[in-house]
Amino acid sequence: MSAGGLAAVSPVLVVGALTCLAPAVSRPTVQFGVRVPRERAGAPVIGRERRAYYWRTAAIGVCCTAVAVLVRGYGSWWLPRIILLPELAADLGCFWVARRKIAAVKNADGWFAGLRQTIVSDTSWRTDPPRFPVRWLIPALAVMAATAAVGALRYPGLPAHIDTGSGHRVPKSAVSVLVVAGQLYFTAVYSGLMLIIHRSRPDIDAADPAASTLRYRRFLTVVTRALLTMAALADLGLLLIAMPDWQVYRPSGIGRALPALPFAVGLLLLGAVAARTGQGGSRLNGNVRGLALAAGTDRDDDRFWKAGLLYLNRDDPAIVVGARFGVGWTPNFGNPVAWLILAGTVAAWAGLAVIGAAAGI
Amino acid sequence: MLLSIEPDGPVPIYQQIRDRIVEAIADGRQPAGSALPSTRQLAVDLGVNFHTVNKGYDLLRQEGLLRLGRKSGAVVRRDAGSGLPDPGWAQDWTGRLRTLLAEAAAQGMPATGIVRECQAALADFDFPAAAAEAGNRSGSPP
Repeated sequence: MSAGGLAAVSPVLVVGALTCLAPAVSRPTVQFGVRVPRERAGAPVIGRERRAYYWRTAAIGVCCTAVAVLVRGYGSWWLPRIILLPELAADLGCFWVARRKIAAVKNADGWFAGLRQTIVSDTSWRTDPPRFPVRWLIPALAVMAATAAVGALRYPGLPAHIDTGSGHRVPKSAVSVLVVAGQLYFTAVYSGLMLIIHRSRPDIDAADPAASTLRYRRFLTVVTRALLTMAALADLGLLLIAMPDWQVYRPSGIGRALPALPFAVGLLLLGAVAARTGQGGSRLNGNVRGLALAAGTDRDDDRFWKAGLLYLNRDDPAIVVGARFGVGWTPNFGNPVAWLILAGTVAAWAGLAVIGAAAGI
Repeated sequence: MLLSIEPDGPVPIYQQIRDRIVEAIADGRQPAGSALPSTRQLAVDLGVNFHTVNKGYDLLRQEGLLRLGRKSGAVVRRDAGSGLPDPGWAQDWTGRLRTLLAEAAAQGMPATGIVRECQAALADFDFPAAAAEAGNRSGSPP
Protein backbone atom coordinates (compact mmCIF):
# COMPACT_ATOMS: atom_id res chain seq x y z
CA MET A 1 0.00 0.00 0.00
CA SER A 2 1.29 3.48 -0.87
CA ALA A 3 1.96 6.17 1.72
CA GLY A 4 -1.13 8.07 0.57
CA GLY A 5 -3.31 4.97 0.81
CA LEU A 6 -2.02 4.24 4.31
CA ALA A 7 -2.75 7.82 5.40
CA ALA A 8 -6.28 7.58 3.97
CA VAL A 9 -7.12 4.26 5.67
CA SER A 10 -5.44 4.77 9.04
CA PRO A 11 -8.13 7.08 10.57
CA VAL A 12 -10.75 4.34 10.06
CA LEU A 13 -8.46 1.77 11.72
CA VAL A 14 -7.46 4.07 14.61
CA VAL A 15 -11.03 5.21 15.37
CA GLY A 16 -12.22 1.58 15.24
CA ALA A 17 -9.50 0.45 17.66
CA LEU A 18 -10.04 3.35 20.09
CA THR A 19 -13.83 2.94 20.32
CA CYS A 20 -13.45 -0.84 20.69
CA LEU A 21 -11.02 -0.55 23.61
CA ALA A 22 -12.68 2.44 25.37
CA PRO A 23 -14.59 0.34 27.99
CA ALA A 24 -11.29 -1.19 29.17
CA VAL A 25 -9.96 2.21 30.30
CA SER A 26 -13.24 3.66 31.62
CA ARG A 27 -13.95 3.88 35.36
CA PRO A 28 -15.19 0.60 36.88
CA THR A 29 -18.04 2.54 38.51
CA VAL A 30 -19.25 3.97 35.19
CA GLN A 31 -20.16 1.24 32.68
CA PHE A 32 -21.24 2.43 29.22
CA GLY A 33 -22.27 5.77 30.68
CA VAL A 34 -24.27 4.19 33.51
CA ARG A 35 -23.20 4.94 37.09
CA VAL A 36 -23.01 1.74 39.15
CA PRO A 37 -22.07 1.18 42.80
CA ARG A 38 -18.57 -0.29 43.23
CA GLU A 39 -19.93 -3.59 44.56
CA ARG A 40 -21.99 -4.02 41.36
CA ALA A 41 -19.08 -3.41 38.96
CA GLY A 42 -18.74 -7.17 38.47
CA ALA A 43 -22.45 -7.83 37.83
CA PRO A 44 -23.12 -10.54 35.18
CA VAL A 45 -24.97 -8.11 32.88
CA ILE A 46 -21.91 -5.82 32.76
CA GLY A 47 -19.51 -8.65 31.84
CA ARG A 48 -21.93 -9.92 29.20
CA GLU A 49 -22.45 -6.50 27.61
CA ARG A 50 -18.73 -5.69 27.62
CA ARG A 51 -17.89 -8.90 25.77
CA ALA A 52 -20.68 -8.30 23.25
CA TYR A 53 -19.47 -4.71 22.72
CA TYR A 54 -15.87 -5.83 22.10
CA TRP A 55 -16.93 -8.40 19.48
CA ARG A 56 -19.40 -6.11 17.73
CA THR A 57 -17.08 -3.06 17.51
CA ALA A 58 -14.09 -5.22 16.48
CA ALA A 59 -16.16 -6.66 13.61
CA ILE A 60 -17.31 -3.15 12.62
CA GLY A 61 -13.70 -1.88 12.69
CA VAL A 62 -12.42 -4.76 10.53
CA CYS A 63 -15.26 -4.37 7.99
CA CYS A 64 -14.89 -0.58 7.73
CA THR A 65 -11.09 -0.81 7.35
CA ALA A 66 -11.51 -3.44 4.61
CA VAL A 67 -13.99 -1.19 2.76
CA ALA A 68 -11.63 1.80 3.15
CA VAL A 69 -8.77 -0.25 1.64
CA LEU A 70 -10.98 -1.33 -1.27
CA VAL A 71 -12.26 2.17 -2.14
CA ARG A 72 -8.98 4.05 -1.68
CA GLY A 73 -8.17 3.78 -5.39
CA TYR A 74 -11.44 5.37 -6.48
CA GLY A 75 -12.46 9.01 -6.41
CA SER A 76 -10.99 11.61 -4.12
CA TRP A 77 -8.96 11.41 -0.88
CA TRP A 78 -12.13 11.85 1.18
CA LEU A 79 -13.78 8.62 0.02
CA PRO A 80 -12.02 6.29 2.54
CA ARG A 81 -12.50 8.89 5.29
CA ILE A 82 -16.24 9.22 4.75
CA ILE A 83 -16.46 5.62 6.01
CA LEU A 84 -15.62 7.10 9.42
CA LEU A 85 -19.22 8.35 9.68
CA PRO A 86 -21.01 4.97 9.36
CA GLU A 87 -18.26 3.40 11.51
CA LEU A 88 -18.81 5.90 14.33
CA ALA A 89 -22.60 5.58 14.02
CA ALA A 90 -22.40 1.77 14.26
CA ASP A 91 -20.03 1.95 17.29
CA LEU A 92 -22.39 4.43 18.95
CA GLY A 93 -25.25 2.01 18.34
CA CYS A 94 -23.27 -0.77 20.12
CA PHE A 95 -22.62 1.62 23.03
CA TRP A 96 -26.32 2.46 23.36
CA VAL A 97 -27.39 -1.20 23.23
CA ALA A 98 -25.01 -2.04 26.10
CA ARG A 99 -26.04 1.09 28.01
CA ARG A 100 -29.75 0.37 27.71
CA LYS A 101 -29.39 -3.21 28.95
CA ILE A 102 -27.21 -2.31 31.95
CA ALA A 103 -29.47 0.63 32.90
CA ALA A 104 -32.54 -1.63 32.70
CA VAL A 105 -31.05 -4.16 35.17
CA LYS A 106 -29.76 -1.36 37.41
CA ASN A 107 -33.20 0.25 37.64
CA ALA A 108 -35.09 -3.02 37.97
CA ASP A 109 -32.87 -4.31 40.79
CA GLY A 110 -32.52 -0.89 42.50
CA TRP A 111 -28.72 -0.96 42.69
CA PHE A 112 -28.56 2.37 44.51
CA ALA A 113 -31.49 1.70 46.87
CA GLY A 114 -30.48 2.20 50.50
CA LEU A 115 -26.94 3.35 49.67
CA ARG A 116 -25.53 6.55 51.10
CA GLN A 117 -24.78 8.61 48.00
CA THR A 118 -22.19 11.31 48.53
CA ILE A 119 -20.02 13.87 46.75
CA VAL A 120 -16.54 14.28 48.18
CA SER A 121 -14.23 17.25 47.71
CA ASP A 122 -10.59 17.44 48.73
CA THR A 123 -9.92 21.05 49.79
CA SER A 124 -6.14 20.50 49.43
CA TRP A 125 -6.78 20.42 45.66
CA ARG A 126 -7.33 24.18 45.95
CA THR A 127 -5.05 25.12 48.81
CA ASP A 128 -2.18 23.02 47.35
CA PRO A 129 -3.12 22.77 43.65
CA PRO A 130 -1.20 20.60 41.17
CA ARG A 131 1.32 22.63 39.21
CA PHE A 132 0.98 23.00 35.48
CA PRO A 133 4.15 21.46 33.93
CA VAL A 134 5.23 24.58 32.04
CA ARG A 135 8.62 23.01 31.14
CA TRP A 136 6.83 20.42 29.01
CA LEU A 137 5.77 23.26 26.69
CA ILE A 138 9.42 23.82 25.72
CA PRO A 139 9.53 21.11 22.95
CA ALA A 140 6.46 22.60 21.22
CA LEU A 141 7.90 26.12 21.47
CA ALA A 142 11.29 24.87 20.20
CA VAL A 143 9.63 23.25 17.14
CA MET A 144 7.73 26.49 16.46
CA ALA A 145 10.97 28.49 16.72
CA ALA A 146 12.72 26.03 14.37
CA THR A 147 9.83 26.33 11.88
CA ALA A 148 10.02 30.13 11.98
CA ALA A 149 13.80 29.99 11.46
CA VAL A 150 13.59 27.55 8.52
CA GLY A 151 10.74 29.54 6.97
CA ALA A 152 12.60 32.86 7.33
CA LEU A 153 15.72 31.37 5.72
CA ARG A 154 13.93 29.72 2.79
CA TYR A 155 11.18 32.29 2.11
CA PRO A 156 13.20 34.95 0.16
CA GLY A 157 14.57 32.34 -2.28
CA LEU A 158 11.20 30.67 -3.03
CA PRO A 159 9.21 31.37 -6.22
CA ALA A 160 5.99 33.39 -5.80
CA HIS A 161 3.86 30.24 -6.24
CA ILE A 162 4.66 26.78 -4.91
CA ASP A 163 3.51 23.36 -6.16
CA THR A 164 2.40 21.60 -2.95
CA GLY A 165 2.65 17.87 -2.31
CA SER A 166 -1.13 17.54 -2.78
CA GLY A 167 -0.84 18.81 -6.36
CA HIS A 168 -2.02 22.41 -5.82
CA ARG A 169 -0.25 25.59 -6.93
CA VAL A 170 -0.54 28.18 -4.15
CA PRO A 171 1.12 31.48 -3.11
CA LYS A 172 4.19 30.89 -0.95
CA SER A 173 2.88 33.27 1.72
CA ALA A 174 -0.26 31.11 2.19
CA VAL A 175 1.76 27.94 2.90
CA SER A 176 4.05 29.75 5.34
CA VAL A 177 1.19 31.46 7.20
CA LEU A 178 -0.84 28.25 7.45
CA VAL A 179 2.03 26.21 8.89
CA VAL A 180 2.82 28.75 11.60
CA ALA A 181 -0.90 29.37 12.33
CA GLY A 182 -1.49 25.61 12.54
CA GLN A 183 1.34 25.20 15.03
CA LEU A 184 0.04 28.11 17.09
CA TYR A 185 -3.42 26.54 17.04
CA PHE A 186 -2.25 23.10 18.22
CA THR A 187 -0.01 24.52 20.96
CA ALA A 188 -2.59 27.06 22.18
CA VAL A 189 -5.50 24.60 22.15
CA TYR A 190 -3.62 21.78 23.92
CA SER A 191 -2.06 23.99 26.57
CA GLY A 192 -5.20 26.14 27.01
CA LEU A 193 -7.44 23.12 27.50
CA MET A 194 -5.01 21.56 29.97
CA LEU A 195 -4.90 24.83 31.94
CA ILE A 196 -8.71 24.79 32.18
CA ILE A 197 -8.65 21.12 33.19
CA HIS A 198 -6.05 21.87 35.90
CA ARG A 199 -8.57 24.29 37.41
CA SER A 200 -11.51 21.90 37.12
CA ARG A 201 -12.53 19.44 39.81
CA PRO A 202 -10.79 16.11 40.29
CA ASP A 203 -12.65 12.85 39.80
CA ILE A 204 -12.86 11.58 43.38
CA ASP A 205 -14.23 8.14 44.22
CA ALA A 206 -16.57 8.61 47.19
CA ALA A 207 -15.79 5.09 48.46
CA ASP A 208 -12.04 5.74 48.45
CA PRO A 209 -11.60 9.53 48.43
CA ALA A 210 -8.06 10.03 49.76
CA ALA A 211 -6.37 7.43 47.56
CA SER A 212 -8.41 8.36 44.48
CA THR A 213 -7.37 12.02 44.89
CA LEU A 214 -3.71 10.98 44.91
CA ARG A 215 -4.28 8.78 41.86
CA TYR A 216 -5.99 11.65 40.05
CA ARG A 217 -3.03 13.95 40.77
CA ARG A 218 -0.67 11.45 39.11
CA PHE A 219 -3.12 10.93 36.24
CA LEU A 220 -3.41 14.67 35.57
CA THR A 221 0.37 15.15 35.61
CA VAL A 222 1.01 12.24 33.23
CA VAL A 223 -1.81 13.13 30.82
CA THR A 224 -0.79 16.83 30.73
CA ARG A 225 2.79 15.88 29.88
CA ALA A 226 1.58 13.45 27.21
CA LEU A 227 -0.74 16.04 25.63
CA LEU A 228 1.97 18.73 25.61
CA THR A 229 4.29 16.18 23.95
CA MET A 230 1.50 15.49 21.46
CA ALA A 231 1.33 19.23 20.72
CA ALA A 232 5.09 19.24 20.03
CA LEU A 233 4.73 16.18 17.75
CA ALA A 234 1.79 17.76 15.89
CA ASP A 235 3.91 20.91 15.38
CA LEU A 236 6.74 18.71 14.10
CA GLY A 237 4.32 17.02 11.67
CA LEU A 238 3.33 20.42 10.29
CA LEU A 239 6.99 21.39 9.92
CA LEU A 240 7.62 18.16 7.97
CA ILE A 241 4.60 18.93 5.76
CA ALA A 242 6.04 22.40 5.04
CA MET A 243 9.63 21.25 4.37
CA PRO A 244 9.03 19.92 0.79
CA ASP A 245 6.94 23.02 -0.01
CA TRP A 246 9.82 25.16 1.20
CA GLN A 247 12.06 23.05 -1.03
CA VAL A 248 14.21 21.85 1.86
CA TYR A 249 14.02 18.22 0.67
CA ARG A 250 12.14 16.16 -1.92
CA PRO A 251 10.35 13.16 -0.45
CA SER A 252 9.85 10.03 -2.54
CA GLY A 253 8.14 6.66 -2.04
CA ILE A 254 7.41 5.82 1.60
CA GLY A 255 9.18 9.08 2.57
CA ARG A 256 5.95 10.89 1.64
CA ALA A 257 4.40 9.41 4.79
CA LEU A 258 7.10 11.02 6.97
CA PRO A 259 4.90 13.99 8.10
CA ALA A 260 2.32 11.50 9.43
CA LEU A 261 4.93 9.79 11.63
CA PRO A 262 4.90 12.35 14.50
CA PHE A 263 1.07 12.24 14.62
CA ALA A 264 1.17 8.42 14.72
CA VAL A 265 3.81 8.44 17.48
CA GLY A 266 1.71 10.97 19.44
CA LEU A 267 -1.41 8.83 19.13
CA LEU A 268 0.49 5.72 20.26
CA LEU A 269 1.86 7.68 23.23
CA LEU A 270 -1.62 8.87 24.25
CA GLY A 271 -2.98 5.34 23.83
CA ALA A 272 -0.21 3.91 26.03
CA VAL A 273 -0.82 6.56 28.71
CA ALA A 274 -4.59 5.89 28.65
CA ALA A 275 -4.03 2.13 28.92
CA ARG A 276 -1.62 2.59 31.85
CA THR A 277 -3.60 5.15 33.87
CA GLY A 278 -7.25 4.45 33.02
CA GLN A 279 -9.83 7.20 33.33
CA GLY A 280 -9.00 9.50 36.27
CA GLY A 281 -6.10 7.20 37.28
CA SER A 282 -8.46 4.29 38.01
CA ARG A 283 -5.88 1.75 36.79
CA LEU A 284 -3.02 3.19 38.88
CA ASN A 285 -1.92 1.70 42.18
CA GLY A 286 -2.78 4.22 44.83
CA ASN A 287 -4.07 2.44 47.88
CA VAL A 288 -2.55 4.52 50.62
CA ARG A 289 -2.81 2.94 54.03
CA GLY A 290 -4.10 5.19 56.77
CA LEU A 291 -5.78 7.56 54.33
CA ALA A 292 -8.88 5.52 53.56
CA LEU A 293 -12.08 7.18 54.68
CA ALA A 294 -15.20 5.36 53.61
CA ALA A 295 -17.62 8.19 52.93
CA GLY A 296 -20.28 6.36 50.99
CA THR A 297 -20.81 5.60 47.35
CA ASP A 298 -20.72 7.88 44.32
CA ARG A 299 -23.93 9.77 43.61
CA ASP A 300 -26.16 8.31 40.92
CA ASP A 301 -25.90 11.24 38.49
CA ASP A 302 -27.16 9.54 35.31
CA ARG A 303 -29.91 12.17 34.94
CA PHE A 304 -27.30 14.82 34.09
CA TRP A 305 -25.78 12.71 31.28
CA LYS A 306 -27.64 12.85 27.98
CA ALA A 307 -27.31 9.63 25.98
CA GLY A 308 -24.68 8.59 28.54
CA LEU A 309 -22.03 10.81 26.93
CA LEU A 310 -23.00 14.51 27.14
CA TYR A 311 -22.96 16.26 30.52
CA LEU A 312 -25.65 18.92 30.98
CA ASN A 313 -26.10 20.34 34.48
CA ARG A 314 -27.04 24.02 34.76
CA ASP A 315 -26.55 24.05 38.54
CA ASP A 316 -22.97 22.82 38.22
CA PRO A 317 -20.50 25.70 37.69
CA ALA A 318 -17.84 23.31 36.30
CA ILE A 319 -16.70 24.04 32.74
CA VAL A 320 -15.33 20.55 32.10
CA VAL A 321 -15.82 17.23 33.91
CA GLY A 322 -14.30 13.77 33.55
CA ALA A 323 -15.63 11.86 30.52
CA ARG A 324 -17.84 8.84 31.11
CA PHE A 325 -16.53 6.69 28.29
CA GLY A 326 -12.82 6.24 27.61
CA VAL A 327 -10.16 8.59 29.00
CA GLY A 328 -10.43 12.37 28.99
CA TRP A 329 -12.77 15.23 29.77
CA THR A 330 -16.02 16.58 28.37
CA PRO A 331 -17.62 20.05 28.52
CA ASN A 332 -20.54 20.82 30.80
CA PHE A 333 -23.08 21.78 28.13
CA GLY A 334 -25.17 23.46 30.82
CA ASN A 335 -22.45 26.10 31.33
CA PRO A 336 -22.38 29.01 28.80
CA VAL A 337 -18.60 29.39 29.31
CA ALA A 338 -18.09 25.84 27.99
CA TRP A 339 -20.08 26.76 24.87
CA LEU A 340 -17.94 29.89 24.39
CA ILE A 341 -14.70 27.88 24.62
CA LEU A 342 -16.05 25.26 22.21
CA ALA A 343 -17.19 27.95 19.77
CA GLY A 344 -13.78 29.68 19.98
CA THR A 345 -11.91 26.42 19.31
CA VAL A 346 -14.14 25.51 16.35
CA ALA A 347 -14.04 29.09 14.98
CA ALA A 348 -10.23 29.10 15.05
CA TRP A 349 -10.16 25.75 13.24
CA ALA A 350 -12.71 27.00 10.70
CA GLY A 351 -10.64 30.16 10.20
CA LEU A 352 -7.60 28.04 9.31
CA ALA A 353 -9.71 25.95 6.92
CA VAL A 354 -11.08 29.11 5.24
CA ILE A 355 -7.57 30.54 4.77
CA GLY A 356 -6.46 27.21 3.28
CA ALA A 357 -9.48 27.05 0.97
CA ALA A 358 -9.00 30.68 -0.14
CA ALA A 359 -5.37 29.92 -0.98
CA GLY A 360 -6.46 26.86 -2.96
CA ILE A 361 -4.83 24.26 -0.67
CA MET B 1 -9.43 18.06 54.21
CA LEU B 2 -11.98 15.73 52.68
CA LEU B 3 -15.41 17.34 52.63
CA SER B 4 -18.29 14.96 52.05
CA ILE B 5 -21.90 15.93 51.40
CA GLU B 6 -25.10 14.06 50.58
CA PRO B 7 -26.72 16.17 47.84
CA ASP B 8 -29.97 14.20 47.90
CA GLY B 9 -30.11 13.92 51.72
CA PRO B 10 -32.66 15.61 54.00
CA VAL B 11 -30.20 18.21 55.38
CA PRO B 12 -29.75 21.32 53.14
CA ILE B 13 -26.41 21.33 51.31
CA TYR B 14 -25.29 24.67 52.77
CA GLN B 15 -25.91 23.28 56.27
CA GLN B 16 -23.89 20.14 55.45
CA ILE B 17 -20.98 22.29 54.20
CA ARG B 18 -21.12 24.34 57.39
CA ASP B 19 -21.29 21.20 59.60
CA ARG B 20 -18.36 19.43 57.87
CA ILE B 21 -16.14 22.51 58.22
CA VAL B 22 -17.03 22.91 61.92
CA GLU B 23 -16.11 19.24 62.47
CA ALA B 24 -12.81 19.72 60.61
CA ILE B 25 -11.97 22.73 62.80
CA ALA B 26 -12.83 20.77 65.95
CA ASP B 27 -10.74 17.71 65.11
CA GLY B 28 -7.71 19.76 64.06
CA ARG B 29 -7.81 19.18 60.30
CA GLN B 30 -8.51 22.90 59.73
CA PRO B 31 -6.69 24.84 62.48
CA ALA B 32 -7.02 28.60 62.95
CA GLY B 33 -5.24 30.45 60.15
CA SER B 34 -5.63 27.65 57.61
CA ALA B 35 -7.16 28.42 54.23
CA LEU B 36 -10.31 27.00 52.68
CA PRO B 37 -11.14 27.03 48.96
CA SER B 38 -12.94 30.10 47.65
CA THR B 39 -16.72 29.98 47.24
CA ARG B 40 -16.34 29.53 43.49
CA GLN B 41 -13.77 26.74 43.76
CA LEU B 42 -15.70 24.75 46.36
CA ALA B 43 -18.89 25.13 44.28
CA VAL B 44 -17.06 23.68 41.26
CA ASP B 45 -15.61 20.82 43.32
CA LEU B 46 -18.97 19.86 44.81
CA GLY B 47 -20.92 20.55 41.62
CA VAL B 48 -23.37 22.85 43.42
CA ASN B 49 -24.50 26.46 42.97
CA PHE B 50 -22.17 29.29 44.15
CA HIS B 51 -24.95 30.67 46.34
CA THR B 52 -25.21 27.38 48.24
CA VAL B 53 -21.54 27.47 49.26
CA ASN B 54 -21.81 31.20 49.93
CA LYS B 55 -24.67 30.55 52.35
CA GLY B 56 -22.66 27.90 54.23
CA TYR B 57 -19.59 30.15 54.46
CA ASP B 58 -21.73 33.08 55.60
CA LEU B 59 -23.13 30.99 58.45
CA LEU B 60 -19.57 30.21 59.58
CA ARG B 61 -18.66 33.90 59.34
CA GLN B 62 -21.63 34.87 61.50
CA GLU B 63 -20.55 32.26 64.07
CA GLY B 64 -17.05 33.80 64.13
CA LEU B 65 -15.34 30.69 62.78
CA LEU B 66 -14.44 32.02 59.34
CA ARG B 67 -12.93 35.22 57.99
CA LEU B 68 -13.87 36.08 54.43
CA GLY B 69 -11.73 38.55 52.53
CA ARG B 70 -11.39 39.58 48.92
CA LYS B 71 -7.65 38.98 48.87
CA SER B 72 -7.14 36.44 51.66
CA GLY B 73 -10.10 34.26 50.64
CA ALA B 74 -11.72 32.05 53.28
CA VAL B 75 -9.55 31.57 56.37
CA VAL B 76 -10.40 29.75 59.61
CA ARG B 77 -10.63 32.43 62.32
CA ARG B 78 -10.63 30.37 65.52
CA ASP B 79 -10.28 26.81 66.78
CA ALA B 80 -10.19 24.89 70.08
CA GLY B 81 -7.00 26.69 71.10
CA SER B 82 -8.31 30.21 70.52
CA GLY B 83 -9.72 30.66 74.03
CA LEU B 84 -13.21 30.63 75.50
CA PRO B 85 -16.17 31.49 73.29
CA ASP B 86 -18.44 34.51 73.81
CA PRO B 87 -20.86 34.02 76.77
CA GLY B 88 -23.82 34.72 74.49
CA TRP B 89 -22.76 32.00 72.06
CA ALA B 90 -22.26 29.49 74.93
CA GLN B 91 -25.77 30.17 76.25
CA ASP B 92 -27.28 29.65 72.79
CA TRP B 93 -25.27 26.44 72.26
CA THR B 94 -26.43 25.04 75.65
CA GLY B 95 -30.01 25.54 74.55
CA ARG B 96 -29.41 23.65 71.28
CA LEU B 97 -27.51 20.89 73.10
CA ARG B 98 -30.43 20.46 75.50
CA THR B 99 -32.78 19.93 72.55
CA LEU B 100 -30.38 17.44 70.95
CA LEU B 101 -30.07 15.43 74.18
CA ALA B 102 -33.82 15.60 74.65
CA GLU B 103 -34.27 13.99 71.22
CA ALA B 104 -32.11 11.04 72.32
CA ALA B 105 -33.97 10.75 75.65
CA ALA B 106 -37.36 10.98 73.93
CA GLN B 107 -36.36 8.17 71.59
CA GLY B 108 -35.55 5.97 74.61
CA MET B 109 -31.77 6.12 74.57
CA PRO B 110 -30.38 5.42 78.09
CA ALA B 111 -28.39 8.15 79.84
CA THR B 112 -25.26 5.98 79.90
CA GLY B 113 -25.57 5.47 76.15
CA ILE B 114 -25.92 9.20 75.57
CA VAL B 115 -22.84 9.94 77.71
CA ARG B 116 -20.84 7.21 75.92
CA GLU B 117 -21.73 8.69 72.52
CA CYS B 118 -20.74 12.16 73.72
CA GLN B 119 -17.39 10.88 75.00
CA ALA B 120 -16.72 9.04 71.73
CA ALA B 121 -17.41 12.22 69.75
CA LEU B 122 -15.23 14.34 72.06
CA ALA B 123 -12.38 11.85 71.77
CA ASP B 124 -12.15 12.70 68.05
CA PHE B 125 -11.68 16.41 68.68
CA ASP B 126 -8.35 18.14 68.99
CA PHE B 127 -8.40 19.93 72.33
CA PRO B 128 -5.33 21.90 73.46
CA ALA B 129 -3.31 20.18 76.21
CA ALA B 130 -4.26 22.68 78.98
CA ALA B 131 -7.98 22.28 78.35
CA ALA B 132 -7.65 18.49 78.24
CA GLU B 133 -5.86 18.45 81.64
CA ALA B 134 -8.49 20.73 83.17
CA GLY B 135 -11.19 18.42 81.88
CA ASN B 136 -9.50 15.32 83.31
CA ARG B 137 -9.05 16.97 86.76
CA SER B 138 -12.73 17.84 86.95
CA GLY B 139 -13.61 14.24 86.00
CA SER B 140 -15.46 15.27 82.90
CA PRO B 141 -14.51 14.88 79.25
CA PRO B 142 -12.17 17.65 78.04
